[in-house]
Amino acid sequence: MSRLYGEPIEVWVRDGQPAQFVWRDRLYAVREVQDHWVVAREWWKTSDADPGERRFWRVEAASGRQVGTYELRFDTAGDGWLLLRAWD
Amino acid sequence: MASFTHLHTASAFSLRYGTAFPEALVRRAAEHGMDALALTDRDGLYGAVKHIRACHGTGLTPVVGVDLALDGGPASRGRRGDPPRIVVLARSGGWGALCRLVTAAHHAGERGEPYVTPGMVAEHATGPDGEPLLVVMLGPRSGVGRAVAERRDDQARSLLAAWRSVVPDLVVEVADLYGYRDANIAARMAGLADSMGVPVVLTNAVRYLDAADHQVGDVLDAARKLVPLDGRHLDHPTAHAYLKDGAEMARIAARICGGDPGRAERLLAETRRVAERCALDPVGIVPLLDPVDPRLHLPETDADPVPLLRRRCEDGLGRRGLDRSRDARDRLAAELAVIERKRLSGYFVAVSGITDMIRSLGIRCAIRGSGAGCLVNYLIGIGEVNPLDHGLLMERFLSEGRRGLPDIDIDVESARRLDCYRAILDRYGEARVACVSMMETYRARSAIRDVGSAMGLPPHEIDVIAKAFPQVRAKQIRAALSDLPELRDSGLNDRSLQAVFRLAERLDGLPRHIALHPCGVLVGNSSLRERTPVERSLLDFPMSQFDKDDVEEAGLLKLDVLGVRMQSALAYSLQEIERVDGRRIDLDAVPHDDAGTYDLIRVSRTLGCFQIESPGQRELVAKLEPRTMHDLIVDISLFRPGPVNSDMVTPYLETRHGFREPQYPHESLREALRETNGVVVFHEQVLKVIDVMTECGLSEAERARRGLGTPEGREAVRAWFVPLAREKGFPEATVERAWHVLDAFGGFGFCKAHAAAFALPTYQSAWLKRHHSAAFFAGVLTHEPGMYPNRVILDEARQCGVEILPLDVNRSGESWLVERTGPVPPRRPGELRVDELGRGYGLRVPFSAVKGISDAEVARMVAGRPYTSLADFWERARPSRPVAERIVEVGGFDALHGLRPGEPRWRPGELTRRDLVAQVGALERASATGVTAGSAVQLPMEFTDRVTPGELPEMTEAEAVEAELAILGMDVSRHVMAFHGDLLDAIGVTRARDLLTCRNGAEILVAGVKVATQTPAVRSGQRVIFATLDDSTGPVDLTFFESVQGHTAATVFGSWMLVARGVVRRTGGRAVSLRALHCWNLVDLDWLWRTQGIDAVRAVLSETPAPGGGVGGRPVEYGNGFRVSPYSDNGAPPAAGEGRFLGRPGEPQRRLWHASSGSSGPTSGR
Repeated sequence: MSRLYGEPIEVWVRDGQPAQFVWRDRLYAVREVQDHWVVAREWWKTSDADPGERRFWRVEAASGRQVGTYELRFDTAGDGWLLLRAWD
Repeated sequence: MASFTHLHTASAFSLRYGTAFPEALVRRAAEHGMDALALTDRDGLYGAVKHIRACHGTGLTPVVGVDLALDGGPASRGRRGDPPRIVVLARSGGWGALCRLVTAAHHAGERGEPYVTPGMVAEHATGPDGEPLLVVMLGPRSGVGRAVAERRDDQARSLLAAWRSVVPDLVVEVADLYGYRDANIAARMAGLADSMGVPVVLTNAVRYLDAADHQVGDVLDAARKLVPLDGRHLDHPTAHAYLKDGAEMARIAARICGGDPGRAERLLAETRRVAERCALDPVGIVPLLDPVDPRLHLPETDADPVPLLRRRCEDGLGRRGLDRSRDARDRLAAELAVIERKRLSGYFVAVSGITDMIRSLGIRCAIRGSGAGCLVNYLIGIGEVNPLDHGLLMERFLSEGRRGLPDIDIDVESARRLDCYRAILDRYGEARVACVSMMETYRARSAIRDVGSAMGLPPHEIDVIAKAFPQVRAKQIRAALSDLPELRDSGLNDRSLQAVFRLAERLDGLPRHIALHPCGVLVGNSSLRERTPVERSLLDFPMSQFDKDDVEEAGLLKLDVLGVRMQSALAYSLQEIERVDGRRIDLDAVPHDDAGTYDLIRVSRTLGCFQIESPGQRELVAKLEPRTMHDLIVDISLFRPGPVNSDMVTPYLETRHGFREPQYPHESLREALRETNGVVVFHEQVLKVIDVMTECGLSEAERARRGLGTPEGREAVRAWFVPLAREKGFPEATVERAWHVLDAFGGFGFCKAHAAAFALPTYQSAWLKRHHSAAFFAGVLTHEPGMYPNRVILDEARQCGVEILPLDVNRSGESWLVERTGPVPPRRPGELRVDELGRGYGLRVPFSAVKGISDAEVARMVAGRPYTSLADFWERARPSRPVAERIVEVGGFDALHGLRPGEPRWRPGELTRRDLVAQVGALERASATGVTAGSAVQLPMEFTDRVTPGELPEMTEAEAVEAELAILGMDVSRHVMAFHGDLLDAIGVTRARDLLTCRNGAEILVAGVKVATQTPAVRSGQRVIFATLDDSTGPVDLTFFESVQGHTAATVFGSWMLVARGVVRRTGGRAVSLRALHCWNLVDLDWLWRTQGIDAVRAVLSETPAPGGGVGGRPVEYGNGFRVSPYSDNGAPPAAGEGRFLGRPGEPQRRLWHASSGSSGPTSGR
């Protein structure tokens, strides 16, 4: 079962893809990108000229010996990463 | 790495879907280093010619296809009800098949909703020998793609198998726009195709140039589907459908292929292979890309057209009495040489066949434009103007060095224009003829409407907001809000509307819908449908998907058949003269030197006349005082933005009236410029000046003249002209002076052939007004050829002594009828009494003027005359209840029942209009019961006829006029200003007829009904508002400069009846206008007067206006120094409205004043 988190994290990007991230003080190394998609924000509901888009990544990542699947989200307008959910 | 080719690209010509123009897409593809690009617009090839030209210009190989909706039965429809779509590309050599498929798709579907079936596609996909002509791409939106997305793999497999069995060149298209599961669907589609041996290509389903355009795309999705913006309604929830570069596309290929580099490379290679077999030959489709010897598409003629045309011209020489003229023979030989070298003989033969046919239908038909300068056109009877008589030149029409095709323009009666089209279609057959289309694009008002709906604003608010704007470009919306005083204070500048305006601006110039071009008709041969796709217009005419420029580029010859309302008005007037007076008049045979006609023009009594009725023209004719046809030709040519702006009018008038000697830059130019006293007025003169100074020949001179239109062009022409003229021995000062003339003239001015063609109906209309006033006004009121609404024309008729007769059910007809009302006063030659022009005649208001009346009702009413009572009328004419009530209210039964509006209002025992209105209600209830009872027996007349006369009060005169304005759109019984006479006298208003007695510079008050507002381009670069008021004694012309618009603009645009304070400007012997200082809404003043008395009115009139801001906006500056306000009408001459259809004169009659496109719309209820 996956659990929802929605917590801000720090991510290192390589070749346009997340390579490592730090969540709850632990370093995770991305082993495989399983899926990647994008959702444009409903810009007409905001007053911003460019509300940007949300980029989703579903990755398999390892921290030490523990391997799990994680969903990360990058918000282009806020320029910040969230860890949305985890299967571990 | 070899470059990527986008095979699925929608441009802005995918209506309400695409966001980028073909040229921009091609430029971007070239920047990405791509060597080919496909254009696959939705539902048509509207942008194909522009795409191919742009590709040719940048060295890209063009690929063209179409994105079509598929009708494969109800099962294939998606969940949201939108049909699946496929993309069909033309293989090299498959252009004709693609055109035919698009034509077939439009033929199969409803108008605006074309579709294909797999069977139709299969039918066009192979040639006669089985060679494939089209590539069919099945993408994520096809039935196959949808089945894969919904995990119905068996269905996907069987659909793909079905396609493979009927289409030889079939590919599966995968795309990944980074939407949820996009990559997954693409991978599984590729897997399915691989397993069945169908090639797979990669596209990006492009509809944006940049990712940032997706907001515009979202708005277009909502506008197209008529829904508010919501995630559910969007076609592409991500912003990734933009023209990505090769590297990005390679990354997508890798994503889809799960990181398998070999598979990704195979996907890209297959995409390239498809692009290679779809490479089109640009010159084959757009022949004019070959400037030397374009392969034109010529009409068929029965025999070899070259000897045929020669023989016809020879016959023409004899018929026109020119067979002994050396000039004519030389000119003919020169013209035929050019025509034959360009292989255009067949075109001339075909056009003369068409004009003969139009005339044989009894339709007035005249040549217009540069074609009048061609002797061949005169000899073979296309036109009636002899170019040798007027010094007109062939080179302006067709010349050796000119790229492009000649274009013959024909004017016909507007009311019968469509008859002409039908006749041409019948004669040549649908396969060979098509009308030309044009794209209506988003402008401020339409953009606000569509964005407003998408953002969910209430419809009535959208309507108010949109109408508040003048007809400006969408991208000027926010600038207009801050620049224009009437908008600045309107409350529209609210923050909540900012998002709407910001988006509306981004729709600027995008095509919105396709429409029939007002005049272009393609005349071709039986292979026309291989060269252009054809759809059906609203009126069911076959219509090419190409606009007039594309048609020419595609080497298709066209004829412009323009409907001119004035021609219809003239024809109607002649018909009324014959009916009433029994006189047949051959208008074309009327001598052109009638002093009475010129007298009428010189006192600027020209309201209703062709071309010379606007305030500016009334001022100009008063100054110019035309006495001959040539004067009229000059007058018409001078009243253009170019001549007005470069101030050619003043020097011409000064030399004309002898205040100044004519000046010629050089003696050798005297011949060319003598007819206009040394001022360059006509294009033909520019050609002659260039030719005289450089000896380059007229063809070359015409090429140079075309260059004068742009600043860069002028520089180039100068660099060529000046040294060449010096070489020919002209002194430097002369060359400079001559160049100055050419430079100032710019690309403006007027083709004399065109002006000569215009001057004829101008003179004819003035002649009719002078000698047959009532019939003239009947024609003008019926066909509405001019800028003024009918109530203005009606008042002019009244001032000319014509009696205005109210609607009468027993005398009114379908359109305006002339009646004899008394003896005609004897004509005293040499004296013009305007108020006696129409004495002895009346004009009868027609049934068709009644608001909301249908054609069928009018026909029944006319056929049923005479009527014996209202009940009889109700019974036999069967009007709707509101129409019957309206007819009563405007006095249609006054004569029959002896009614008379006015005091006393209570007349016991006497029938009133209101009694009759009540009776209409009773009649309706009676007939309704009769029907519901199912009884065939009519109720006895006496029962329904029983009303108690005098039970209800009669209408007052004021109420009667109010009803006339509301129902007929004009004040028939009295002038509406008549009710304000007391107030106007009390505040000391000067009447129009007394203006001539005012001294120059006097400050006076005037008043009247607003007749017109115009904001033409003027020399200073200001937005100047010209307003014309009518106070029942004549027109009052007011000029509002920017300095007073801050406190007046909203009132000028927003009121119907005005009081204005202004300074008298005497501009000529008979010409007076006012520079306005302030103005007020007369209705407000009247209310103030009634409630608070005259002192309150005086107090308002003497207030000093609060200093308001003027008009903002940077004037557009032209190279030769003159400036034009961005809010002026863009130089459209008063005849710009000529292209309109003559519909039923239903709605336009509710139009109470004329507003030019630069004027703001109604800002208040009136």
